[in-house]
Amino acid sequence: MSASQSAVRSRAEAIKVSRTFDWLILFTLFFVVLGGYHIHYMLTGGDWDFWTDWKDRRLWVTVAPIVSITFPAAVQACLWYRYRLPFGAVVCVLGLLLGEWVNRYLNFWGWTYFPVNFCFPSNLMPGAIVLDSILLLSGSLTVTAVIGGLAWGLLFYPGNWPIIAPLHVPVEYNGMMMTLADLQGYHYVRTGTPEYIRMVEKGTLRTFGKDVAPVSAFFSGFVSIIIYFLWHFFGKWFAQTTFISSEDF
Amino acid sequence: MKILKDKVAKLSFVALLITMTAAMFYAPTASAHGEKSQAAFMRMRTIHWFDLNWSKDEVPVNDTMTLTGKFYVFKGWPETVDKPEVSFLNVGIPGPVFIRAGSWIGGQLVPRSVSLELGETYEFKVLLKARRPGDWHVHAMMNVQGGGPIIGPGKWVTVTGSMGSFVNPVTTLTGETIDLEHYNLSNTYFWHGLWYAIGLIWVAYWARKPLFIPRSIAVESGKANTLVTPLDKKVTLAFAVGTIAIIAVSMGATNEKFPITTPLQAGLLRGMKTIELPVATVAVKVEDATYRVPGRAMQMTLTITNNGDSPVRLGEFNTAGVRFLDPAVSEDESGYPDDLLAEEGLTVSDNSPIAPGQSRTVQVTASDAAWEVYRLADLIYDPDSRFAGLLFFYDAAGNRQMITVDAPLIPTFI
Repeated sequence: MSASQSAVRSRAEAIKVSRTFDWLILFTLFFVVLGGYHIHYMLTGGDWDFWTDWKDRRLWVTVAPIVSITFPAAVQACLWYRYRLPFGAVVCVLGLLLGEWVNRYLNFWGWTYFPVNFCFPSNLMPGAIVLDSILLLSGSLTVTAVIGGLAWGLLFYPGNWPIIAPLHVPVEYNGMMMTLADLQGYHYVRTGTPEYIRMVEKGTLRTFGKDVAPVSAFFSGFVSIIIYFLWHFFGKWFAQTTFISSEDF
Repeated sequence: MKILKDKVAKLSFVALLITMTAAMFYAPTASAHGEKSQAAFMRMRTIHWFDLNWSKDEVPVNDTMTLTGKFYVFKGWPETVDKPEVSFLNVGIPGPVFIRAGSWIGGQLVPRSVSLELGETYEFKVLLKARRPGDWHVHAMMNVQGGGPIIGPGKWVTVTGSMGSFVNPVTTLTGETIDLEHYNLSNTYFWHGLWYAIGLIWVAYWARKPLFIPRSIAVESGKANTLVTPLDKKVTLAFAVGTIAIIAVSMGATNEKFPITTPLQAGLLRGMKTIELPVATVAVKVEDATYRVPGRAMQMTLTITNNGDSPVRLGEFNTAGVRFLDPAVSEDESGYPDDLLAEEGLTVSDNSPIAPGQSRTVQVTASDAAWEVYRLADLIYDPDSRFAGLLFFYDAAGNRQMITVDAPLIPTFI
């Protein structure tokens, strides 16, 4: 067979090969994104995602969406502009959550015995589904960045509230009041993570009384818009083919 | 010759792989906490732990033990380490093998960070509940913001039983008693499982159709718009609306189920109660101090003045948790860890009682293998070659006085 001849001999065979490629690429994409996104999120979100006593209504709500919209934006750019596929954000979050759960279960629990109810990951799926949906419905980078980015920030806290609310029930412990999440952080000793490292409930959003989570979520959404634009362009840049010579085909 | 070389290279590579693979079968438990690696001046000149007591050597799962003692926040705190204005009383154990059921400084519960004052002595207590069976090194420990963990003496404690039987009951302010070990676990799995399944369905919807090659060809040929059908848009809309609906409903249901929730609690505790030690009547001046590297011994020339009304003798030199005792004056009855105790490690050139009003210059030698084992001899490589420690003087009635010393240290190599 010469280089100019087709590798397939019929339409059925072409479809079969194409589908095989689909699964190969999807499988590879999933695990590459899992690795890259996981490392990125652990380095930037880190403890906010590791521990329940870091999941507060101010900084966790602000930081986690901002640092996590990165890969979804980049992968969306690649999959949408090259293939008109609108599942970039969801694929990213599926990969990230699988990697995180494997890490939390095998490492945090399996090796160091931190209870899973203390070190489970944040839920990013609602924002990812809405981000992908807006991309498909609008077909626009700008609309996805503005509406989707804002939604990504706004949906984060309510999407996680059913999971963390039970841990925010107060408890009286030796004469002090704390939440169950605080108590987990106190009980389950982390030698290298002293209490003062926690970046929670810090900031100047005091004029809003107890209702700071929505304000933090809005702020997070606004910054997520900017980060979305930035990483969308990273994705587009990485997805270009100008560095491949046409003579190779 | 080339074939032989190739074979040797190949066999060497195989041998390397076998060695690396074999190494995986020997993975002993990491039980140390790097206490010996911490710079000697950090251990000698920051937090001085003393009067430590581990209430038990063996604890069954679910049973408790206490680690009690005192610590002196050294007045000559090194400039290279941030002051302990934000500190946290911790315990050095390999993860949550115990849970910290309580910790107190000066009788106050300290679940949060505290501010400590230089030159003050504090009493502390840590209540530990055994969780995971094994032999664990239990250290007193103080984390200092900007200074890192300052680890104190450690003692081996054995936890017996089964971790499966561990329970951690807590009663909330809403009157519910829960087991914190497993609380909220099924709820967490449910929500993560549900959302993951929705995400998978979303990808599966798109993956049931040809994905990359045909779609790429279509996009390249300007037919991108044909790739999204009206059905796709309807399904997408359903996913978006469904997502928001699930969030709204679950949020409402959660708020109904947990009407009382509070924010995470944080903040710095100030004004910790200190121990009022009696005014020292013994004054000590360090004339010089040398560390003899080959002999693993530190020698000090001290001028001791007794301004009290009863004769005193030097019984102990304590530095970095290592206790050098003169057995004629002081003996340990607390079960202090053997490796940190030099029961006959303190020699005083003339340790007869120093009478009231008397001043005497003596040669004091603190020698033990602990200098080497605990890498305190590495002090000579530190950026600030000074030593520090606590001297304990006793009168005939057994009354004790604590005096701190802090002076330059000159190493001798011959």
